[in-house]
Amino acid sequence: MDVSDEEARKSLDLIQEAAQRARQWFAFAGGDIVFILWGVIWVLGYLSSHFLPRVTGWIWLVLVVGGVAASVLLMRRYAAVRSPGGWRISTFWFLLYLYVSLWVWLVLPFLKVKGAEESAAFWRHYGAIAATVPMFAYVVTGLWLENLLVWVGLGVTVLTVLGLIVLQSYFFLWMAATGGGALIGTGLFVRYRWRQPCQTSTG
Amino acid sequence: MIHQPVRLRIMAALMTLGPKEQVDFTHLRDLLAATDGNLGAHLQRLDEAGYIAVEKTFVARKPRTWVKATGLGRDAFAGYLATLKRIVEGSV
Repeated sequence: MDVSDEEARKSLDLIQEAAQRARQWFAFAGGDIVFILWGVIWVLGYLSSHFLPRVTGWIWLVLVVGGVAASVLLMRRYAAVRSPGGWRISTFWFLLYLYVSLWVWLVLPFLKVKGAEESAAFWRHYGAIAATVPMFAYVVTGLWLENLLVWVGLGVTVLTVLGLIVLQSYFFLWMAATGGGALIGTGLFVRYRWRQPCQTSTG
Repeated sequence: MIHQPVRLRIMAALMTLGPKEQVDFTHLRDLLAATDGNLGAHLQRLDEAGYIAVEKTFVARKPRTWVKATGLGRDAFAGYLATLKRIVEGSV
């Protein structure tokens, strides 16, 4: 092959750069919008938990059902990659929630919550579980797809536990700011800093 | 065939996916900062060589074009990559 050492080095650099950018682009195309969507859902949901505790359950229900439907449509519309095994990730999320819901349903009758203070503590912990379960899914999914998901999952989990222990009365506001903020921030980071085209592409 | 910079980038990008995974044409175009016509022409060359497979579908009544590297294309890219490495290491 009539290629000089210099040309070979340039070609290898070009391949490395294209592969690196492709991995990041393909992994999160569409996912950036979904991150932002769920960040907004968390902000609205946790704000409702703090300011509208009587109706927050219904607000969360509407937000989550709407969020799941919107996420499916957004990923179908904007995903970069079509994979025969893509259904496995959706199935994993579905089964995870099925298992958690099953145990919540089985354990709830044995929880004896007395008074407003215990009730508030119960809902704080329930909110923390609801926040960390999807974060666990982020970590597991990230082990296969992209390390960023692992760090987001672990980061939000730490923030959640920290808020649960330290900021008891303001836990829901803390979650709206840190949990929702982290998801929105990740979506914006992926969209504007990470998903960059290759440097040059002539010919 | 593969040594041309745009085609090399196309193959490098496709090689990050699994053998059965396909990438959307518009994402590939944006990733490579190419125009529709430019990318289309290079894909056609690769398709004619049997290095990629192109599939056209409709999603929500809108046409979408999906691209993937074939086994032949993967072998050709791997061979070219190995050759480049050997040149850099001084064994060619």
